[in-house]
Amino acid sequence: MRIKNHPILGEFDKGRTVAFSYNGAPMTGCEGEPIAAALRANDVIIHRYTSKEHKPRGIFCAIGRCTDCVMIVNGKPNVRTCVTPLEEGMTVETQYGLLTQEEAEAKGAVL
Amino acid sequence: MRRVELAVVGAGPAGLSAAIEAARHGVEVVVFDENQRPGGQLFKQIHKFFGSKEHRARERGFRIGEDLLKEARELNVTVELETVVSGIYDGLELVVTKNDRVEHLRANAVVIATGASENMIPFPGWTLPGVIGAGAAQTMCNLHGVKPGKNILMVGSGNVGVVVGLQLIQAGCSLEAVIDASPRVGGYGVHAAKIARTGVPFHLRHTIKEVYGKDRVEGAVIVEVDEKWQPVPGSEKDLKVDTVCMAVGLSPMYQLSKIAGCETVEDPSRGGVVPICDEYGATTVPGIYVAGDVSGIEEASSAMIGGKIAGASAALKQGYLAQDVFEERYAAFRKSLEQLRQGQFGHGMKGKKITHTQEGIEVSESLLCRGFVDESEILRFPGIPSEEIRMRGLTPVIECTQNIPCDPCREACVKGCIRIGESITDLPSLSKEVQCTGCGMCVAACPGQAIFLLNQNYSDGEALVVLPYEFQPLPEAGDEGTACDRSGNPVGKAKVLKVQKAKTMDGTAVLSMIVPRELAMTARFFRPSGSEERRA
Ligand SMILES: Cc1cc2nc3c(=O)[nH]c(=O)nc-3n(C[C@H](O)[C@H](O)[C@H](O)COP(=O)(O)OP(=O)(O)OC[C@H]3O[C@@H](n4cnc5c(N)ncnc54)[C@H](O)[C@@H]3O)c2cc1C
Ligand code: SF4
Ligand code: SF4
Ligand code: FES
Repeated sequence: MRIKNHPILGEFDKGRTVAFSYNGAPMTGCEGEPIAAALRANDVIIHRYTSKEHKPRGIFCAIGRCTDCVMIVNGKPNVRTCVTPLEEGMTVETQYGLLTQEEAEAKGAVL
Repeated sequence: MRRVELAVVGAGPAGLSAAIEAARHGVEVVVFDENQRPGGQLFKQIHKFFGSKEHRARERGFRIGEDLLKEARELNVTVELETVVSGIYDGLELVVTKNDRVEHLRANAVVIATGASENMIPFPGWTLPGVIGAGAAQTMCNLHGVKPGKNILMVGSGNVGVVVGLQLIQAGCSLEAVIDASPRVGGYGVHAAKIARTGVPFHLRHTIKEVYGKDRVEGAVIVEVDEKWQPVPGSEKDLKVDTVCMAVGLSPMYQLSKIAGCETVEDPSRGGVVPICDEYGATTVPGIYVAGDVSGIEEASSAMIGGKIAGASAALKQGYLAQDVFEERYAAFRKSLEQLRQGQFGHGMKGKKITHTQEGIEVSESLLCRGFVDESEILRFPGIPSEEIRMRGLTPVIECTQNIPCDPCREACVKGCIRIGESITDLPSLSKEVQCTGCGMCVAACPGQAIFLLNQNYSDGEALVVLPYEFQPLPEAGDEGTACDRSGNPVGKAKVLKVQKAKTMDGTAVLSMIVPRELAMTARFFRPSGSEERRA
């Protein structure tokens, strides 16, 4: 999904490749790019499930306004991944309401 | 409490221009923006701008953004990023939040240049991951270098829809269709034509019925609507897309001005609720000015001029500018703004049906309904040379058929081959006597990519067609491929003669291809062999 050799912009000036984890699985992205961009490049587009109706949400505005893209990052929920820069070793998890999947299952939420 | 002479909210083209203008006259300026990078929408805009030289036409948005930032820096304007202005209260006191820290500061004057937010229309499935705003698509591909999806449906044929549509193709995505509930393409015809000739179908009078998929977009069903905007049963089409991109309009972000106590008014011609302001950008609260999209949706060039006017007004108010100097500058800004607001897309023209150009030429129906001028219609426009001239040697063929504020083509040709009348919105026409040298500058300069060169008598039975090309991989001399017509339909064989690239062409390659002579007025796009056929 990464754009190579853009006809107008050429090569993108991206940070070094760093490792992070997505729901426990290893992934790589470019340091400093929004977490959401790194996820999109790895074909991950579901960021969270709503608490009541359990509906999936993904990027909508990509500029930090809509909060559709919030996830649990380094254990902290409600992080807007479209405007939060990726760092080496981050743990990124799908958010279920305000919880991780494990926590949600422990509470007996219907998944 | 910190005190500033001028606080500007929003570091987009309007806010930065206001800051630069005020700082130029000696005002101490601080600009706040909630983003990590300044520039507002400008850095996502990678196409060449319309207008005149004074509006920085034929320059790409992001370069203009870079220049604005440089200018602001040189004038010691402070830009505070990741800083939200959440309120403005009596006596111009601003509430500013950065990293969860709240600060209050007092300003002598405030320019609100908060821009616009994107509209959304709900439909079944609209919250599924894969339904994104056009702004998000632009941000992903032009700022972050990641495709927002593979197969994309664009909803909305206004300038945002067609511009972002082209940018998605440039990013390597497959644009499956552009739809619009309106019976006519809303954006500039030249923008629409750029994507139509790559083979993207326009479905006007169509809306989205549903987007489906388990957990993410797997497809979209579109449906035709009748005159009363009701779905026509049985007209559904199922499009296999993984992304639906919404470009259904912008709304001014007036909320902050309202908190500040500015009176607002609902004005559909400006895009919704806007703060009431006079021609200087002054709102009903003394000391508060507005500029850019927040005061009415237009585009970046007019936002910059609006910003300058607000900046000059704020400088005048604080005594940094003499009344007569102000009047002089204001008159120049006004004139420049008025130029941009002329023509068939100008102020007060929204929703009006146009049947003839300013010159009295019947408009192209095909352009409005299908996104490209049909070959049967093109000959009546003044930029098209007669067959006699086309057979005589190389000549420009200017397929620019709407009255838009734009004239880089005239500027580009040092030979004087291209003329535009008194008004900047007049259709370009050809000078009779002058000889085209084939330098290609007009082809590359035209932000509408509407200029081609043609030698219908290149050799026995062959014609030479020269066209602008902004896609990768860039073809090379000797490559063989398919010539396509204005709708992207393959019409014959083509061979690339040469591909010109020059710094002055700023990223637009000028591709010369040889086609059978009978295709001289038909072939307007080159598709390299091996690239997938969009329309089998
Ligand atoms: C997707 C999209 C595509 C577009 N394409 C084009 C195009 O191709 N050509 C064109 O000419 N125009 C285009 N436009 C229109 C565009 O809005 C204008 O061109 C131009 O950017 C308007 O300038 P502005 O300065 O008013 O607003 P903006 O450029 O939007 O800048 C406003 C800035 O204010 C900031 N802000 C808002 N509220 C606050 C607050 N409370 N505190 C701090 N900061 C705040 C915003 O984050 C933003 O950075 C497009 C718009 C969109 C959304
Ligand atoms: S190709 Fe060069 S000489 Fe010919 S019309 Fe264009 S700018 Fe003028
Ligand atoms: S032909 Fe001239 S007026 Fe028309 S879009 Fe191109 S540069 Fe602008
Ligand atoms: S996508 Fe809207 S806040 Fe991140």
